[in-house]
Amino acid sequence: MRVSLRSRVLLTLLQIVLAGIILLPFFWMVSVSLKPATEPFSIPARLWPQHPTLDNYFTAFRPEFRTYFLNSLVVSLSTVAITVTLGLLAAYSFTRNQSKALLALMTLVIGAQMFPSSAIIIPIYRLMKGADLLNTYASLIIAYVTITLPVAIWMLRGFLARLPIELDEAAALDGAGPLRAFFLIIVPLSSPGLVATAVFVLIITWQEFLFALSFTSTKDMRTLPVGMNDFIGQYGIRYGELMASSVLVSLPVVAVFFLLQRQFVAGLTAGAVKG
Amino acid sequence: MREKILLVATLALITSASASAADLTLKFWDNQQTESGLSQYQQEAVKSFEAANPGIHVEVTTVPYPEYQQRLLTAVQGGNAPDVSTIDQIWVAAFAQAGAIEPLDDQAKTAGITSDAFFPGAWASANYGSHLWGVPFNVDVWSFSFYNADLLKAANVDPESLATFEGLKAAGAKLTTNGKFGLGLFAHKGEDTVVVLDSFIFSNGGKVLNDDGSCGLTSAPSIGALKYLQSIAPYAPKGVANADSGSMRELFLNGSLAVEFWPALEQPTLQKSKLNWDFVDGTAPEGKKPVGTYGGWNLVVYKSSPNKEAAWKFIQFLTRPDVNGKVVDLIPANVKAADAFLRANRKGPDRILAQLNNAAPRPLSPRYLEVSDIEVTLAQDVYGGMDASEAAAKACKAIDALK
Amino acid sequence: MLKRDRWLSWVFLAPAMILVGVLMYYPMIGTVIESLHSTSFINPKPQFVGLDLYRRVFASSEFSAIVWNSCVWTIGVVLLQNTLGFLTALLLNQRLPTTGLMRSLILLPWVLPGVVGAILWRFMYDPQLGLINSFLIRLGLTDQGPAWLAGASTAMAASIIAAVWKGFPFSTVVYLAALQNVDQEQIEAAIMDGAGRLRRLLYVVLPAMREVIVTNLLLTTILTFNYFDMIWVLTRGGPQNATHIFPTKIYELGFGQFRFGEAATYGVFSIVVLALLLALYFLVQHSAVRRLVSAR
Repeated sequence: MRVSLRSRVLLTLLQIVLAGIILLPFFWMVSVSLKPATEPFSIPARLWPQHPTLDNYFTAFRPEFRTYFLNSLVVSLSTVAITVTLGLLAAYSFTRNQSKALLALMTLVIGAQMFPSSAIIIPIYRLMKGADLLNTYASLIIAYVTITLPVAIWMLRGFLARLPIELDEAAALDGAGPLRAFFLIIVPLSSPGLVATAVFVLIITWQEFLFALSFTSTKDMRTLPVGMNDFIGQYGIRYGELMASSVLVSLPVVAVFFLLQRQFVAGLTAGAVKG
Repeated sequence: MREKILLVATLALITSASASAADLTLKFWDNQQTESGLSQYQQEAVKSFEAANPGIHVEVTTVPYPEYQQRLLTAVQGGNAPDVSTIDQIWVAAFAQAGAIEPLDDQAKTAGITSDAFFPGAWASANYGSHLWGVPFNVDVWSFSFYNADLLKAANVDPESLATFEGLKAAGAKLTTNGKFGLGLFAHKGEDTVVVLDSFIFSNGGKVLNDDGSCGLTSAPSIGALKYLQSIAPYAPKGVANADSGSMRELFLNGSLAVEFWPALEQPTLQKSKLNWDFVDGTAPEGKKPVGTYGGWNLVVYKSSPNKEAAWKFIQFLTRPDVNGKVVDLIPANVKAADAFLRANRKGPDRILAQLNNAAPRPLSPRYLEVSDIEVTLAQDVYGGMDASEAAAKACKAIDALK
Repeated sequence: MLKRDRWLSWVFLAPAMILVGVLMYYPMIGTVIESLHSTSFINPKPQFVGLDLYRRVFASSEFSAIVWNSCVWTIGVVLLQNTLGFLTALLLNQRLPTTGLMRSLILLPWVLPGVVGAILWRFMYDPQLGLINSFLIRLGLTDQGPAWLAGASTAMAASIIAAVWKGFPFSTVVYLAALQNVDQEQIEAAIMDGAGRLRRLLYVVLPAMREVIVTNLLLTTILTFNYFDMIWVLTRGGPQNATHIFPTKIYELGFGQFRFGEAATYGVFSIVVLALLLALYFLVQHSAVRRLVSAR
């Protein structure tokens, strides 16, 4: 597609404006995080603090932070591993068996996405209490797997539908049972989709707040999002520290995303419906 | 014969000692104190309690304020309540009605804990029906009018004038110029909105709920207070309907706001700032005494607790006059402890004590949270310009509809 | 998969079925049952009241406000996110020197934890201290700046804008991927037929992306309808219920005021509305799959 130079310049400028819109709030977040507590906010807001300091980051990186970080890491990575596995299995089952009954069940599973979490959280809490799982990693992992499975299955179904059935049949002719076919052929071929789903699940679980809040009680079990409440008191928010904490909480997912974004976009590309 | 008795006695002593050495863990939940270093005092207090009570181990969980209500409710509903915790004064009636907490009348009588040791509003807030449901732990009063002395001087406003309705209004007008704001009024969805609203109503002689439980907002004094608030609304920073006490504090700290309405708790923050500040004991019409609104926390024992005796011991310990002051960042509810605490830590202790003795609690009803929501709507209506009597009637209709 | 191995597909689906059944359907049924009783925190002995709560909620003045707000919020956010997402995808589909970098940056807002984003936007909207008004003041457009979140008319729009910023990158990536998958042959055929860019867009590209568009519209609808964090942090549903939507109302009733029964009732209503949307979604998906299968 030949595009005139003038158009190219215009479109490039447009992209830069877009970048500005996306990044401005992030810039503000960093700016507030560098403002010392003794420097009050000014009217109109300054783009950059008068005496920038890293104090807020030191406060935010308190020992509890490392605990919260570890908890978030354990819970999120476990959830990703389990959800992707179970999701892939479930999605695979559907693409290879088109019975109406299976479709109906699949619909129900994916349909669970629409339940409002705050309405069902207390019954789930009671279940966890009954199973003696409260304030443990297990309760969060189980809950997160449950809420991300519907979306994961939906995404993976799209990827798997692209893989032709002939592959299975070829594997069967070679004498491979369905499980072997699954592991040796399907899994490797769907890896872009797996990466995309994994990143998606990671982003969701890393920021999940409601369940983490309800299922954890002691400080040593809290996750990062819940930990940010440490800076919100009964009267007033400690903005500088809160923003510094936010930057620290966001960095890991942002880093992961940058590292994996090529695969992520490729995964979504591979899964898109062909014309 | 004597040796035999001695032997038996020794054996009894040993076995009883080892029986009480069976460790029990007491789960204590508290609102996370925002003052740094305070959790350190709490931990020290816990250690000395454990030392004095071998066999009891206290597990302290501090919960940040924004999530405290949700977590506590989830825990109680889910059958996972702690043994003892602080609860906000306004939840006592609901928790009592729900059967979640233990009545403490007998324990209090035995321990000699009576109403005179505490501020009247605090004690009232721990009672519901005909029982005592908790022991007051800490209190504060909304609100004191903290003012920026420099801004007042520059506008030629006499600080003492802030204590009357008329004076506050005049001051507001003089102080709201040049991009600065006079009065820190706010009306977001939050309890701070309600306590400030209540203090103006109380100071004017009005009531939220009458003694018989009917709505008191349509009485002349109540409507008068609402009309007054409406008249001073122009002197507040724009955006009252979404502003909270925290935003007022930020504006006060950066010198854009002359008067902010906060409890005594605000003092440590102001002490750390570079401002020239002081406070007036609330606002009332000329000739009347200002009446503040009580806030605070009470200690309760949960019905589901297997360690009720230990819980009660812990409560007695925390509310002892010599301990109380060290483990709170609001003001101790125990009068003696409060006196010592205020003299050591706050400017104007006598004025604060006077307000504490003169303040009124919010309505003690198991449906208070719904009343509070209605009051927020009332505040937003009034500041938004609705006719005060109409707004009050609307609120009363909603309150009376709560069966 | 051979016919004799079909039973395996049930085994593969089993873990997902069990988890979702136990942890989502079972509690939801509990919630429905709860909504039929006079359940509340302060009433330890709830009694069966049938549809009484539903009648009361229907009759309340807030109910219609919440249904209206939820619709305005959902449709507003979804349309804007998808439009902006689509336009951005078109933009990022151009081979320009900055495209590579842009594709890396574009997902940042979506990746930011929800609560953080909401707190950030709330502060940006602050009438006195926020970034937005300070820009307006510096540009000389006004000397005080409106109170975005405090005015009933502006609060919803402001919330929508924040949510669009947060979520549009996801749509961008989906549409970008779909754009890159449009059959090049069809486009070249259209060029040879003399079709200009706009015509190509309308008559070749968009139809080819139809299913992706519908799917994404429905997915974003479901996610937006249940999106709690943004509005709760920005306005708590205020001022005067101007921004109250189902998720915030449910939370406020249940955890803020201890009114479980009514929270459950609102919960059921919210599902009913969504179920209608979901039915639509699966109708489209089903026909799309049918077409794919028959094309084999």
